[in-house]
Amino acid sequence: MTSTSQTAAADGADTPGPDGAGLSSTRVAKEADLAGRSPGQLMWMRFKRDRTGVVSACIVLAFFLIAALAPLISKLYGKDPYTRYGQLRPDLLNENFYPVKPNGGIDGEFWFGLEPGLGRDVFTQLLYGIRNSLALAVIITLLSVLTAIVIGVAGGYFGGKVDYFLGRFTDLMMSFPNQLFFVAFTPVVAALLVDPRDEMPTWLRAGVLVYVMWLLGWMTLARLLRGQTLSLREREFIEAARVAGTPSGRIVRKELLPNLVTPILVQATYMLPNNVTAIAGLSFLGVGLLEPTPDWGRMFAKGAEIYQSDITYMFFPGGAMVIFILAFNLLGDSVRDAFDPKSGR
Amino acid sequence: MRARRDRVVGGAATPYGISQAATDNRQAGADTTMSRVSIRTARASLAALAAGALFLTGCSSGGGGDDTKKDEKAKQQGQDVSYTFADEAASKGPAPEVKGGRKGGTIKVLQRDSFAHLDPAQIYVSDEGALAELIHRGLTTYKKVSDDKYEVVGDLATNSGTKSDGGKTWTYKLKDGIKFEDGSAITSKDIRHSIERTFAPFVTEGPTFIQQWLADTGGTDYRKMLKDGPYKGKHLPDDVLETPDDKTIIFHFKKPQAELPYALAMAGYSVVSEKKDTKEKYDKKPLCSGPYKIASFKSGKSMKLVRNSEWDPKTDPARHQYPDAFNIQFGVSFEDSTKRLMSDAGENQTATSFTNQVDASSLQKVRTDPEIKKRTVGGFQSYVSYLNINMDRIKNKKVRQAIAYAIPNQSIVSAFGGAGGGEMAGNYISPTLVGHKKTDPFNKLKNPQGDVEKAAKLLKESGKKGMKLTFAYQNAPEWQQFAVAATQNLEKAGFDVQKKDIIADTYYDQIGKVKNGYDIYHNSWGADWPSASTVVPNLFDGRQIQDGAANYSHHKNPKFEKEMDRIRSMSDANKAADEWQKLADKILTEDVPAVPMHYYKAMQISGSKIGGMYFDERLHDINPTSLYVKK
Repeated sequence: MTSTSQTAAADGADTPGPDGAGLSSTRVAKEADLAGRSPGQLMWMRFKRDRTGVVSACIVLAFFLIAALAPLISKLYGKDPYTRYGQLRPDLLNENFYPVKPNGGIDGEFWFGLEPGLGRDVFTQLLYGIRNSLALAVIITLLSVLTAIVIGVAGGYFGGKVDYFLGRFTDLMMSFPNQLFFVAFTPVVAALLVDPRDEMPTWLRAGVLVYVMWLLGWMTLARLLRGQTLSLREREFIEAARVAGTPSGRIVRKELLPNLVTPILVQATYMLPNNVTAIAGLSFLGVGLLEPTPDWGRMFAKGAEIYQSDITYMFFPGGAMVIFILAFNLLGDSVRDAFDPKSGR
Repeated sequence: MRARRDRVVGGAATPYGISQAATDNRQAGADTTMSRVSIRTARASLAALAAGALFLTGCSSGGGGDDTKKDEKAKQQGQDVSYTFADEAASKGPAPEVKGGRKGGTIKVLQRDSFAHLDPAQIYVSDEGALAELIHRGLTTYKKVSDDKYEVVGDLATNSGTKSDGGKTWTYKLKDGIKFEDGSAITSKDIRHSIERTFAPFVTEGPTFIQQWLADTGGTDYRKMLKDGPYKGKHLPDDVLETPDDKTIIFHFKKPQAELPYALAMAGYSVVSEKKDTKEKYDKKPLCSGPYKIASFKSGKSMKLVRNSEWDPKTDPARHQYPDAFNIQFGVSFEDSTKRLMSDAGENQTATSFTNQVDASSLQKVRTDPEIKKRTVGGFQSYVSYLNINMDRIKNKKVRQAIAYAIPNQSIVSAFGGAGGGEMAGNYISPTLVGHKKTDPFNKLKNPQGDVEKAAKLLKESGKKGMKLTFAYQNAPEWQQFAVAATQNLEKAGFDVQKKDIIADTYYDQIGKVKNGYDIYHNSWGADWPSASTVVPNLFDGRQIQDGAANYSHHKNPKFEKEMDRIRSMSDANKAADEWQKLADKILTEDVPAVPMHYYKAMQISGSKIGGMYFDERLHDINPTSLYVKK
């Protein structure tokens, strides 16, 4: 890695114009050949130089880390998101069931204060809320991306009737309104699968949420990938592979997919925060995860309800959400820039 | 009277529930119904009318101070409110001047729901009840004498009623100078007509007490007595309703009906002109008899009330005519009206609301900001929330006791906004009712968060540990919040709780089915007048179990039914009131058909230029007739 500074300088010099950038990056590539750098490594190097990107990545990572370690953190912190501290202990809430202490009851014991009414701990609620929302969003994003790859690439690669059929199917799915569909769909599932005497289990509710958002979330990426595949399929290296008798599956895996990594990754980094907000939106409307499962979106709903009397409560879930979405979107931009320095700017 | 409240929902029991829900297009068709039953003359003390009573000075909107301290003080002193049936002297007009009251100005009124009915016979919900105070008059009405004292006075009648024959016969004489807005005199023929037309098929929404008493039947059988009402020339026979001359009305009942003056004070029995009665159309354009008349009404949008020049203050012991007009605007949610009135800007300074309350989420701000707080009034409503236990499904008494011990009553109060929204209940009888005692058989007041250990022990003894318990609740913020707390406690006690949230609009239809399939579910119920006779039998009489009836627990016990009949036929009001309380406690401890949870309280707010605001315990709202516009 002795040539880092050299390449950095070289790369730094190629920012002025797209043409220059293209030229110099081939030059860099030549130089890099000596050091044995793959396109991935190049991307990584470019990414590392983008300070916004790195900071955003750290924030996003921190969120995921917090989400993953929520049970551990809550154990160390000594509180859980379910216990009604404010109701069980008479000194915490006043007669209107708002925190006695200023700023939403923030103190050394309850770092983010207490939830008015039920008196639960805001910090652990938020931890678990983030955990649940992120887990759902990640699952939905993964499923959507996989579906988009299968349908988009199949449509683009095979063309003809397959493409026509898949294309119309994509259009059809796009015409469903996401949130309304979910609102209408959940009771149907509940009626079909749940005994009328029983509560809909949380895992089933989460399952329905994932299912609906996945079902209605893959179309944009699929269309994009179809277009990309369509143009890639005519390129020489694919033709060559075909002529050489390579099976379709192998062509897709070894020739097409590596060239589609960029749009997939970039789109996924946009899709994930979108899913987080969509889940929060459903919860805000009261049709997402239900009490007592901690939920990020529902915290907004509560915050919006009580903002006049306890603005602090809104601050934490709101702030966390803004930071997370902003960081993730900036990360998405940086990833795109790193993969493809010609585009953007 | 059924009140329509945001989110809160009362029992839409009785046939009225359905149409009620239909008129309520916004969230949660909240109403609490009440009911009928027997009677007694009354001079009774309402225990602990606490909070509100103290700053109900009836003269100005001032009087802030520290509510907490006042609450405590009221509780300690056991502030009583009493109701008396008044004589002629007290029934004479004019009403005593409101301190500082001045004529002129226009009051803006923000209301959530439009008035569905203007015909007195169709009025039962509290929104229209408040309006009726201004435009309709009946034989009797209530008059606030002092902070803790109400009188039932003669309104159109010279007194609250003269009873004879052991309470089976009631005689009313009309005052002189009482007129409709068109200048025609109100005679006994109009009163007779007003009663008779409630038998007509098109009158479906109003109260049915007096009809049932006259016919001595239950349900809707009274309609057979006068199938088409008075419209086809038939009248009630003289041995039922007699009008010997233009000024006299005599009611003849088969059984003693000591609570008639209360019943006649309901807006539903206000006077309707015999000559100008337009039947169904009267509901859109009634002939007013109160201090105000309707200048214009755009359903769902606005209504304008102006002075009724034919109304003579000398005939009216309870109403005033201060502002020139009321401009009522509909479609303003509780949140919106609270925010607008809190801001106190521009026209909001002279604005108020008859029935919109301070919404639960604003209570903290309203109760802690002294400038805003002094513009509020509040007090108990007659509604009580119960957690019904379905006795068809849960037959083991120990299990029911376990549920009763586990429920955290404090959590329901907190869900309704804390001390301003309610108070924990120890028994079934509301503190606004005559005879209420602060009994607490399940230690609900001592253990605000429930006694989970005792519940667990009882459940273990019953051998049903881990049993499935389907808990139905209304899908509204308050009940959701309560459900979280209740479920936690019940699960700790060893139940396998299955929460079922039910859409607010259809909640009462769902739990009203006898075969509803749920184990526990909440309902709210309030009395029509300050007597437990309109509560206990409705909720716990096993003979009244049917789809849509208020006995949601399906409680059946012949022993207690006999007792109800006995108390109903008692002639001493105070004794009967005590007996109702005792019976209610007996039912609670012996059968545990429902867990009493909380007594509703309400808080209302006005703009800074509104004077004369006080909380009327029996309307459970601001009394609109004493309002005036300050200079």
